[in-house]
Amino acid sequence: MTLSVALGPDTQEGTRTGTEASTDSLTAPDIPWNLVIWNDPVNLMSYVSYVFQSYFGYAESKANKLMMEVHKKGRSIVAHGSKEQVERHAVAMHGFGLWATVEKATGGPGGNSGKSGGSGQGKGKRG
Amino acid sequence: MAKAFKYGLKGITGFLEPAERELLRSLIDDVISMLQPAEDASQDPLAALIGLDMDVREPTDRAVKRLLPNVMKNDDGASLEFRQLTERSLRETKIGALRAAALDLDKDEVVLTAEGARLWSMALNDVRLVLAERLDIRDEEDAEHVHLMQDWSQAEDVESYLALVYNFATWLQESLVQAMLQSLDSRA
Repeated sequence: MTLSVALGPDTQEGTRTGTEASTDSLTAPDIPWNLVIWNDPVNLMSYVSYVFQSYFGYAESKANKLMMEVHKKGRSIVAHGSKEQVERHAVAMHGFGLWATVEKATGGPGGNSGKSGGSGQGKGKRG
Repeated sequence: MAKAFKYGLKGITGFLEPAERELLRSLIDDVISMLQPAEDASQDPLAALIGLDMDVREPTDRAVKRLLPNVMKNDDGASLEFRQLTERSLRETKIGALRAAALDLDKDEVVLTAEGARLWSMALNDVRLVLAERLDIRDEEDAEHVHLMQDWSQAEDVESYLALVYNFATWLQESLVQAMLQSLDSRA
């Protein structure tokens, strides 16, 4: 990821729409799967954090923590759930231009088994 | 000279000079043309209608592959199967965001709703991903190297020109995302 020029804060009121968090309930007796985000030298750190906040509904601190893990460790498990759920998340991440893959939660490459992951089910709007 | 995006009472606003808008429009058009699926007369129209594409293959162009990556790291077969189900609609999502951004380039002042800003950030990101492939940015060091290129009077060849364009797109996206994060904060 890359860090670019930071700009001054501006905290006026405004509106926010377009949260894409999914609200699906669990489907069937699926094996848990992970959604993995991989580091790349192009995506902005701020943008990756924005995507984690706006799409998964993660709080800023959690989004930043996951973003830093991607940046420093090369990858991070950002959500888990059924195969279907993480695949849907992966398509959404690809839509945002993030490099996302899915893997089985156990025995997957890297072994980074879910310590930092979220529920995989979007929690809706923050705040 | 463009002004950074900012978040205020009107929503998220930015300002672009005509030459900058022209540049962005042509970058966006390039990415759209890369993403446009090849029209194939033998394609099953019903399959196409529901977004299936059984003839889809893993992209050979690296930039296109970065825009439409494999969903599994070590399973090309499963990734291809997933591609057949999802790639067409992913292309359409991306083209939709790029077209939406291009439409906002009709005026110097760009005024965006939260949804418009989201589409813009996706479009700028895809533009940057494609430029980064053309510039062969493979790691953070390459990115740093490109980032040093800030002076338009140094633009002597295609690569330095592309680097400057990439840095402009990066700056613009960063300012947009900062404004978007502020709009999230104000709702928290």
